[in-house]
Amino acid sequence: MSSMQKIILVGKPNSGKSLLFNQLTGLRQRVANFPGVTVELKSGKFDQFELVDFPGTYSLKSISQDESIAVDQLQQAVKSPDTSLLVCNLDATKLERSMVFALQVQALAKEHGKGCVFALNMMDEVARFGFEYDVKALSAKLGSPVYAISAKTLIGISEFTKALKEHAANPQSASVQTTELHDLSYVKAAKQLAEEFGIKQDLVLKRQTKLDNFLLNSVLGAVAFAAIMFFLFQAIFTWAAPLMDAVEAGIGFLAAGVSSLLPEGVFNDFVNDALFGGVGAFLVFVPQIMVLTLIIGILEDSGYLARAALICHKPLSLFGLSGRSFIPYLSGHACAIPAIMAARTIESPRKRLITMMTVPLMSCSARLPVYALLIAVFVPDTSYLGGWVNLQGAIFFVLYFGGIITALIVSKVLNIYINQDENKSDLPFILELPTYRLPHWRPLAYKTLNSGVYFIKRAAPIIFVVSVVIWGLGYFPSNGNLQESYLASIGRFIEPVFEPMGIDWRYAVAILVSFLAREVFVGVLGTMFNIADAEENTAGLAEQIQADGFSLASGIALLAFYVIALQCVATVATLKGETAKNRYSWGVFVAYGLLAYVVSVSIYTILA
Amino acid sequence: MTIWDLPKQSRAQISGLNQNISSDLRQRLEEMGFVEGQIVQCMKRTPFKGPLVIQLQDCIYSVDKALAEQVQVNAA
Repeated sequence: MSSMQKIILVGKPNSGKSLLFNQLTGLRQRVANFPGVTVELKSGKFDQFELVDFPGTYSLKSISQDESIAVDQLQQAVKSPDTSLLVCNLDATKLERSMVFALQVQALAKEHGKGCVFALNMMDEVARFGFEYDVKALSAKLGSPVYAISAKTLIGISEFTKALKEHAANPQSASVQTTELHDLSYVKAAKQLAEEFGIKQDLVLKRQTKLDNFLLNSVLGAVAFAAIMFFLFQAIFTWAAPLMDAVEAGIGFLAAGVSSLLPEGVFNDFVNDALFGGVGAFLVFVPQIMVLTLIIGILEDSGYLARAALICHKPLSLFGLSGRSFIPYLSGHACAIPAIMAARTIESPRKRLITMMTVPLMSCSARLPVYALLIAVFVPDTSYLGGWVNLQGAIFFVLYFGGIITALIVSKVLNIYINQDENKSDLPFILELPTYRLPHWRPLAYKTLNSGVYFIKRAAPIIFVVSVVIWGLGYFPSNGNLQESYLASIGRFIEPVFEPMGIDWRYAVAILVSFLAREVFVGVLGTMFNIADAEENTAGLAEQIQADGFSLASGIALLAFYVIALQCVATVATLKGETAKNRYSWGVFVAYGLLAYVVSVSIYTILA
Repeated sequence: MTIWDLPKQSRAQISGLNQNISSDLRQRLEEMGFVEGQIVQCMKRTPFKGPLVIQLQDCIYSVDKALAEQVQVNAA
């Protein structure tokens, strides 16, 4: 056998599928896409098989682009001779809705002669209501094996694991039997199954309704929403701080150690300035990215994200957006690339386009290092209310908010220019509000770790190359005298363009280079300051800039520039891929660059 | 009467979907539980004519005005 036999895991969204996947595969898994909120294909090793987790879909008949991609991929995978078995995850608390999709999957398995088994998940919740499923009868009626499990409390998991191995080794044992149920339409069959076997709904939904009465209340709900968002941004700064200090101290320790081992000279300077100064300065910010991913993950897994989309629908629709734009906007605070892809779930093509074009204005994690550095330079680290509100955190909130406000204004403007008549086929807004659940640590831990790993993988190579080049240009020809280097000549040449922002040539170089990827800004400055610093000072970059002198007006102007400018080649490429038009990718790149420049110069002119 | 006309906490029975919606959307709505005879309950209305929250069998959905007006109901 050339390749590993595959088992495909499918199911409706919010049905405990991700947790089941994590429980079956453990640590050995790969994610084919950034861990954002939507499309991703995870695979992991399960025994001698490869388990592939497909994104949750409601139906095999797609109505949005997002779904059609997921459905196409699924159909390809089922056809593949490598696939032996399909596992369909069911939510035992919502049998009827799970079954509509499950029956379609069963039919697909049958069509291609593959085995099909059902995992009746969430049995712990069903048991709490004192309800029991007649699994045997359900299995007979369905014509496929059914296993009652709980991925959360591990009820039935060991039996399920054992059975799954047997079925996968011998797919014939799970081949679909036709029963009288299959004469009905999917919708009718699902209804009949739910009436015969399912749990009574009023029981299940009671607790959810109580919470919704609070979280969707016109006044209290809005307060809770604002509080959650504020808490999110506070956490990025305060929770991540000790971790960031630890990373910084670790890099400093390592740099000092390596430097003392190497002989004095160019190579020693290179390792210290380009490697530890450039790449190290950026690694410090990885904990913040992970904290952000963790909190968005908690909001998603608890069921709150859908409520937030509902709360935002009306306000966002005033700017020509949809409540579903909230999810790309929120994940845009981690990274614009998955966020632009997450916009595929938006029902209307026009709102989707506007969302995609404005997502780059969300303050993504690559802006975090820049914000964090500049804030550390000129905002004092003062806390109020016993440490719950931090001044630096509050400024962060203002910057993030500034990005969102700009995005809304731009959306409103785009709305006027993008033709309304082109898209008469707009789909209306409908969103399932999933049951509130306490998030399980496992999927969250994987998401969080992956976000850090992915960010380093994506950004480190480019930061490394840029740091090395900048170091070379800054070190030579006069061996470490930055003021007389090649870099200084280039910098002084472009300085006049950035002078109206009140910054000198070093920052001008950093801005110019950061049009590749904005996080490079910190690395470039780190490299330059380290070259200039003859003492090999191990103090942080922020202290070095403070000592060097930097005006508050330029600081604010520079922050505003970074809030608006689209300095990320990968985002432009993603926009191009998703919209297939230069107008919407490079056009957006140029427009935001100009806007950033104008705003930044205006701010400096007013403040200075 | 449509779902949009339902006062908070009231129940009604779905009598059908409007003719003018696309067949793809019709099918999806049926798969989501919007079928004739199904009881629907309005759980919540949001301010400024924002989306409704409805309970349909085992699911809670949020639907906006444009969609809610496509679903015809009879008072139950």
